[in-house]
Amino acid sequence: MVWSAECRRTLRSGRVLALLALYSLFSLLVLLVVGGITRALREQLDMQIAQAGADASAASQVTEEFRKGFLGFLVGGDQAVMEALAHVPLVVVVVFKATLFFLPLYVAIMGFDQVSGEVGPRSIRYLTVRARRLSLLLGRFLSQATVLLGLVLIIDAGIFVYAWLTTPEFTLGSFAFNLLKFWLAAVVFSLSYLALTTLCSSLFRAPALSLIVNIFVLFGFWLVNLIGGFAAKDSPVAYVRYLSPSHYANGLLHPGLAEFAVSGMAYVVFTLLFLGGAIVILRERDL
Amino acid sequence: MSERAIEIVEVTRRFGPKVAVDGVSMTVNRGEVYGLIGPNGAGKTTTFSMMCGYLRPSSGTLRVMGVDPRVDGSLKGKIGVLPQDAILPGGWKVGPLLTYWGRLGGVANPEQEARTCLERVGLIEAWDVETHALSHGMAKRTALAQALMGSPPLVLLDEPTAGLDPRIANQVRQVIRELKDQHTTVVVSSHNLQELEQLCDAAAILDRGKLAQAGTMTELTGQSAEFRVQVARGTVIIPELEALPGVTSARMEGETLLHVRFDGQAHQPEEVISRVVGHLLQTGVLILGVSRGRRLEERVLQLT
Repeated sequence: MVWSAECRRTLRSGRVLALLALYSLFSLLVLLVVGGITRALREQLDMQIAQAGADASAASQVTEEFRKGFLGFLVGGDQAVMEALAHVPLVVVVVFKATLFFLPLYVAIMGFDQVSGEVGPRSIRYLTVRARRLSLLLGRFLSQATVLLGLVLIIDAGIFVYAWLTTPEFTLGSFAFNLLKFWLAAVVFSLSYLALTTLCSSLFRAPALSLIVNIFVLFGFWLVNLIGGFAAKDSPVAYVRYLSPSHYANGLLHPGLAEFAVSGMAYVVFTLLFLGGAIVILRERDL
Repeated sequence: MSERAIEIVEVTRRFGPKVAVDGVSMTVNRGEVYGLIGPNGAGKTTTFSMMCGYLRPSSGTLRVMGVDPRVDGSLKGKIGVLPQDAILPGGWKVGPLLTYWGRLGGVANPEQEARTCLERVGLIEAWDVETHALSHGMAKRTALAQALMGSPPLVLLDEPTAGLDPRIANQVRQVIRELKDQHTTVVVSSHNLQELEQLCDAAAILDRGKLAQAGTMTELTGQSAEFRVQVARGTVIIPELEALPGVTSARMEGETLLHVRFDGQAHQPEEVISRVVGHLLQTGVLILGVSRGRRLEERVLQLT
């Protein structure tokens, strides 16, 4: 009941349109920049190959090598993932990775006041004598998740349609399969960050404080992931990257079931951890 | 089921080093209109908030309609609350918001109930008004309407008439009287002592977090133990009055006000008052008026 009422309320408000516009603009910007760079690089490569007097197959090979190299950089050099993404236009992968990087921030902007926005002005007092705090929190979380799933699907579909129109070899079958795969990956990924936003929102009365702390934690996770990534493989510091949800993002696109399951499970654990924390805090706190 | 609507035993609530409520115990009987009285910072709203489950006591126990308000969801359908300073959520129109809350609270036919409650507070015309567009008085009445939804057996009202114009405040008092007629238990926290004196059967006076006194309004105002006579002319002979059966003491407060205390346990108030007034008239004293007990305000000022 809380979920359906909150979904209707969110959809009625102009906020969802503003968020969609923000997300679309950001994705479009990345799309245009990446598209432009890719085209320029390809033209430069073609020119250098032509000057060197190489044939068409050599040019194609160099282009493919460049693509593999860039894809490898994006997915951390995992051969299986690179093979699985071989038929996906490079621009899609780049935009997807870029939006995935900023998705937690977007989620924070979307949901930072889901609880604190009601606790601060004490509106929640009208609700807690009618429904359990647990139901209120889960209702809010699910309504935010529903809106997020819709927004992510719209944006992902937009990216894939662009890629389909500009890449002749991108077949309809590959389009549908990969759209579903990328969307599910984004959903699993973003739900854990939405749970984190719910947790931050449950901690404070002031929505602005919730947002600041949320962003602070996000930077913390990014930093931990980077430090862990740059550390030597046998160093104990390298293990800190496992504490960051973003570390498991590549596994969500992995063709192997085991790798996908491990990543998926990691996100489920993060989601439950954050959401569980939010539930405990809201249940125990003064309103 | 217990005849107690609310039982509070040795409840303390601390906010850091500050003790907002300190070992307060009180009981509210079912069907009573009960007042929570005290100056600012006395602990009224904190006590009220603990009754509603918004705040947890640091120690002590509370039972509200037979349940522990700390248990999540335990008060559903049992109480209606008008919280102080709680802002109505934005993004809603009044009617749909009340309907949603009614549905959430398990009210049968929530839309009809929302209309009925808005009519009770004289605000049916606000059905399609956005909550952020309501004036202070309209928002307060909307909040009162939601407290009445589903006819809960216990209604808690925190400062229900604060900031309202006299006409609307009177309308709110009328709603409380109707609740009383329907034998609904009502707890009212207010600074308006005249209002509480009119409405309440019993009250608790809080001061600096402690319970100063609790009892029926008759006990608090001393209606069964004292009265005052406004003298217009004549000489009051105090020793003769004190010799009358039941009278324990008599004294003049100023030139024209006679204050008489009597034994309310052994003598009916009407007998003692008639006896004193009769004696005064016989001795040539002319009287302007007689008032039983004292104003609640006087009692509160004395205690706090």
